[in-house]
Amino acid sequence: MIGSSPEIELEEGLEGREFVRPPESYWRQSWVRLRENRLALAAGGVVLFLAVVAIAAPLIQIPIHYGPLQQDLTDNFAPPFKAPHWLGTDELGRDVLIRLVFGARVSLGIGFLTVLIATTVGTAVGLAAGYYGRWTDEVLMRIVDVFLAFPAIFLFIGMSILFRPGTLTLSLIIASVGWAGVARLVRSETLTLKTRDYMLATRSLGARDLRLMVRHLLPNVLPILIVSASLGVGQIILIAAALDFLGLGIQPPTPSWGSMLSNAQTYFYHSPWLVIFPGLMIFITVLATTLFGNAVRDAFDPRLR
Amino acid sequence: MAEHLLEVRGLTTEFETRDGILRAVDRVDLYLDPGEILGIVGESGSGKTMTVLSIMRLVPRPGRVVAGEVIYRGRDLVQVSEQEMREVRGAEIAMIFQDPMTSLNPVFRTGWQVGEPLRLHKGMGLRDSIGQAARMFRQVGIPEAERRTANYPHEFSGGMRQRAMIAMGLTTAPPLLIADEPTTALDVTIQAQILELLREIASQFGTAIILITHNLGVVAGMCDRLMVMYAGRVVEEGATEGVFARPKHPYTWSLLRSIPRLDADEREPLHPIEGMPPDLTNLPSGCAFHPRCPFRIQRCIDERPELVALVDGQRAACWVTQAGTDLELAATGDAWGGDG
Repeated sequence: MIGSSPEIELEEGLEGREFVRPPESYWRQSWVRLRENRLALAAGGVVLFLAVVAIAAPLIQIPIHYGPLQQDLTDNFAPPFKAPHWLGTDELGRDVLIRLVFGARVSLGIGFLTVLIATTVGTAVGLAAGYYGRWTDEVLMRIVDVFLAFPAIFLFIGMSILFRPGTLTLSLIIASVGWAGVARLVRSETLTLKTRDYMLATRSLGARDLRLMVRHLLPNVLPILIVSASLGVGQIILIAAALDFLGLGIQPPTPSWGSMLSNAQTYFYHSPWLVIFPGLMIFITVLATTLFGNAVRDAFDPRLR
Repeated sequence: MAEHLLEVRGLTTEFETRDGILRAVDRVDLYLDPGEILGIVGESGSGKTMTVLSIMRLVPRPGRVVAGEVIYRGRDLVQVSEQEMREVRGAEIAMIFQDPMTSLNPVFRTGWQVGEPLRLHKGMGLRDSIGQAARMFRQVGIPEAERRTANYPHEFSGGMRQRAMIAMGLTTAPPLLIADEPTTALDVTIQAQILELLREIASQFGTAIILITHNLGVVAGMCDRLMVMYAGRVVEEGATEGVFARPKHPYTWSLLRSIPRLDADEREPLHPIEGMPPDLTNLPSGCAFHPRCPFRIQRCIDERPELVALVDGQRAACWVTQAGTDLELAATGDAWGGDG
């Protein structure tokens, strides 16, 4: 063995005790921090519950006995908190509860799908721009600037008119704006990370650009991505609801919270529950995802350490 | 020796800056044989690091190598493709850096990182490479090597991280190791251990080492040969004992004289080198050291001296010594040299 480490004499009784801490990764520490945050756990629980509801919507339909599209014109505008329609019915006698349950699919689906698309595209663009710099950076970032400068609402409206939106199309439309912000974030992070000594050290080992970027640099960007993604979900649900409300989002008869709100405007005075329940759902969902996102940021953001 | 392991000729690296062209490395020549330790000494900004980064072709933008050859085992590394160069880096020439605190990626386990060159160059799998990393950890004296490979860099002390860096550089058994001030960020005891480790590596594996330092004491204890750089140029080069015994360049002479001596009369003042290192975008005429040189003659201001062999293969770029003047005699004989 080259180099000798001095043998340390241990005091009596201390021998054999564990002095080496188990390896503590960044992820583990962050996870522990997140778990200690009660508000985060509660908010995360709500998000999880909503996600389960969304996924299990067809199963929930069974005990309720009504489908989301099932009409009963003899029992329209039924007030809430009475069996069999616990949250009442709308102008066509459709059960509000089951429509909210199916609406969760749309809202959460769009929220998560959009974030996934925007984050993937934005990360790829931001990494490439920040890492290669020079003209790659110039070209990519000018494109990003165009997307950020374009009034998003016009883009949404225009695209929604061009493509009759379903969940996937609507996600793509919203992500077409969202990726630009992610790209900027990742680029600035990449710019600082690529000057780190360990990047030069890894280059001196003979790693190629792609490996440096994806294997060595990306994991360092990940915490910030997690933060931006978890905060993004809430915002996107709001945007999607707004588009639905304007009639540019998910098209009837597919139930979505936004379109339910929009639909209920007319009946607000004599059937306020038709407005209150979808509004409440949007409120709770956005609040929970944002609170959870904030907690994730506190736990994961390396800049807050 | 006919063929050296590494031979650098006329290497010149320039940076285009707003203030004009900055020549960070100016016609540098050097050579290295297997198992040899070459020290490169100089102040901050004298081009030591840029010289080795130029050899590795890792000069950061906007710098680039504008002239010269880097002959490594018969191939000119300046000319080879980027693909070939990648195969050289890490496998043929490895590098360890100044600050072990920032040279390891914080998100990966040390074992994974130390095994990376094996996966890059030897096509080794994850499990094997980490196993090999553990063996390397043992080689460089990291206790509980097996277990330590699962640790993250922040769980290592500075000395252990530098050992891990050395292990990473050596996993592929490269013939040439470049160590850029490997001990500057470490405390004195750890410094000595790391240097001892490097010396053992050179003698045991026949690894040639380029050791960059600004510590002359380190050079004296470690290096077979020594190269002194000033303002991007090599001003003196030769066997360590020779250079220490009779420096042939006033800069080397001043450096050696500036070291405080334990056996000196305590009333004797220290001998700093007067003035500042020059601005590389606006170098003095002739010899770049002339404004600070106590031995300056008119020719130093007018003409740039070339590196010329003087005694026993010791080379210096100085008009004064090339004219046959002995610096020590000149200094004691004159008022401006001996201020003690």
